[in-house]
Amino acid sequence: MRRRPGIMLIALLWLATASATQAAERLHFPATGPVDGATDTLVVHGALDPSYARPLLEAFHAEHPSIGLTYRNLDTLGLHRRFLETPDEVDVLISSAMPWQYWLANGGHARPLSSPQAMAWPAWARWRHELFAFTFEPIVMVVRRELIDRFGRPESHAELLELLEGHGEALHGRVVTYDPERSGAGYAYAIQESRLTPRYWDLVTAFGATQTALAATTGEMLAGLKDGRYWLGYNLLGSYARAVADADPALEVVVPDDYALITQRLALIPRQAPHPENARRFMNFLLGDAGQRVIAEATPLGAVHPSLGGPGTAHALRESHGEALRPVSLGPGLLATLDELKRQALLERWKREFTRTDATSP
Amino acid sequence: MIRRDSLYRRLLTWLLLPLMALGALMVVQAWIEARHTADRAFDRLLEAATLAIAEQVQWQDERLWLDLPPAALEMLATDAEERVFYALYDAQGQFVTGNAELPGPPADAGEVPTLRYRDLIWQGLELRQGIRHSRLADWRQRAGFEVRVAHTREGRQRLAHELLRANLAYILGMAGLAVAVVLLAIRGALTPLSRLRQAIRARDPRTLAPLDLALPRELAELRETLNELLARMRRVKTNQERFIGDASHQLRTPLAGLSARAELALRQTDPPRWREALAAIHATSTRTSHLAVQLLSLTRLDNPEYRPELVPLSLEAVASRAVRGHWNACHRAGIDLGLEAPATPVTVDGLDWQLEEALANLIDNARRYGATHITVRARAAPPVLEVEDDGPGIPADRRLLMLRPFHRGSDDPDGSGLGLAIVDGIARAHGARLRLDAGSDGHGLRVGLHFPEETP
Repeated sequence: MRRRPGIMLIALLWLATASATQAAERLHFPATGPVDGATDTLVVHGALDPSYARPLLEAFHAEHPSIGLTYRNLDTLGLHRRFLETPDEVDVLISSAMPWQYWLANGGHARPLSSPQAMAWPAWARWRHELFAFTFEPIVMVVRRELIDRFGRPESHAELLELLEGHGEALHGRVVTYDPERSGAGYAYAIQESRLTPRYWDLVTAFGATQTALAATTGEMLAGLKDGRYWLGYNLLGSYARAVADADPALEVVVPDDYALITQRLALIPRQAPHPENARRFMNFLLGDAGQRVIAEATPLGAVHPSLGGPGTAHALRESHGEALRPVSLGPGLLATLDELKRQALLERWKREFTRTDATSP
Repeated sequence: MIRRDSLYRRLLTWLLLPLMALGALMVVQAWIEARHTADRAFDRLLEAATLAIAEQVQWQDERLWLDLPPAALEMLATDAEERVFYALYDAQGQFVTGNAELPGPPADAGEVPTLRYRDLIWQGLELRQGIRHSRLADWRQRAGFEVRVAHTREGRQRLAHELLRANLAYILGMAGLAVAVVLLAIRGALTPLSRLRQAIRARDPRTLAPLDLALPRELAELRETLNELLARMRRVKTNQERFIGDASHQLRTPLAGLSARAELALRQTDPPRWREALAAIHATSTRTSHLAVQLLSLTRLDNPEYRPELVPLSLEAVASRAVRGHWNACHRAGIDLGLEAPATPVTVDGLDWQLEEALANLIDNARRYGATHITVRARAAPPVLEVEDDGPGIPADRRLLMLRPFHRGSDDPDGSGLGLAIVDGIARAHGARLRLDAGSDGHGLRVGLHFPEETP
């Protein structure tokens, strides 16, 4: 990490907003050197944990110290709503809620970027030069040592299903996964998996049979796994899980080798961005060599840039898991995820499958 | 600056301008065609997508229900990454689900087609919309609904441009070929013209031989016309040569006589003989000078450039002046010279001295050929000036010959043979026709100048 000693992290402000439901964390890097005026600022809104965002923002600020940088961390839904209310407030929008970001770009809310970095960006990780996927995060299982010792390590969805069906009694209440009703991400994974394989519904039934706990966030699941309440967590965001598992020898991260969903954070410049020039600089940094290297080395997010290799890159993950990786394709299929009727239909089916064993066995 | 007119440029302009207009038309047509083709191809996607969505519409929980197939939306986005919009509306036009509240079709009377396409500007986006009307296939519930999908035009434009590019190359190639062919054709078509020019330029300026040159029909006509002109010029030249020959012959004879007479007289010493010779010489030279005067006036009359200024004059005045001028001489010779003129004045456009000269020639001719009664007559309607005599007359078959210079009715040594030719020349100068007829009682000769009818 080329972190210069004189890095200007002047102030780091954690602000609790008045909103009861969410706390917007805010990072601020004031402009230094010659102050050109109030216009030389940049506002980034992201659904990206500040501990991961900070190295990126610091590196950018070191490169462009004259730009006053403000980062607000919001949850995906809050970010989306706030943008629709005040679309001229923010310069760069970063979110892991791929359908929502796609919905914005599809509706013409994004400004095309035609810099060399954007042009060189791989076609599978962008849409129309308006929407760019700049991370590569697998959806993983996290298993505790206890489970591995007793039943072996499940390496794939098929082995997981076998394990759940074979040792349902032993695993009663020991498994945790996303609640698709409460979590947007959990719903998105459910819809992706149901499209990938009809066997997914057997898995949901098996989860129901083992009284699987349902959580709203990866953090919640990780906390339960850490303190030993759960032995197996299913569909955790790989980037966060990796960080926790690396620090805890009792936890192991499993990237399933039959198929593994890949989620990507999408960045776009809104059409009404107040500082489009600075937004372009930030995007070029994010998609350029320097930004991607920070992602690879200082965060577990996974760098996409095709010229980067080694640990922490998409390249490395592809080499180890190859065919099993299923990145969500950036296309209008994402819009179907947002369809309210579709959501209701899927959740209904999910609940039906989840409670199937309760209904059949008295 | 005035541009020089040129056949080449004219042909080029009139061939290339329509050709270019045609080319432009073809380009426009190719563009329209390319757009149509692209629309037809891509409208299939709208058709398939609406069908795929419509098939998933169900009646559930007392309402329309859609389990949206993601593939239906994905098929609307091609490599061009179009923006995609969809919406489901119920029979009452209420929005059921979708990612955009797309406007419906314009309300129109009559039967509604199952599937409609239209171009649409929606929120600043240029869209192509497909709208499908359908009904639930459920046997309990037959509610109608409407599936509206739309996508942006990038893919269509890309295909249209590709098609147009291919067509444009073809059209440009054809245009280039056509221009080359037109240039060659014009050059080829105009070659005979330059051949004709070269043939004319290469000719000996003194020759009047007809042009012998193979030419296309249009130019062959020109060549024939030219050859006719040359033939006429040849005839004129022949006439002139004969006239010059005759004239020099006519002048040589009296000059030879003069010379012989003078030579004879010089050999003698007797003054009365000299005097006699001088008298003869005087008579001959007078005649010769008269001949010269006549030759001169004939030459002048024959000149096609000669266009005298004609003035209105009275025919009977001309006739009476001529009679007065010749009455004494005729009276001495015992010839009865009379005048007939109408009561009303007859006016024609002419030159009085020329008409008098013509009458003088005719009276002189009549006297010379032995007439005893000569009548000078002016008539009106049509205006005619004529001289009738009771002389021997001219047989009908020889009358035209008499108009030739130096042609004489008999071997009269005093006659020059130019009289009638001069009269003919004067008649032509007045636009009049010369007619030679037998006299009123079948004898003698009547020569008349028939003037054109006076135009009021």
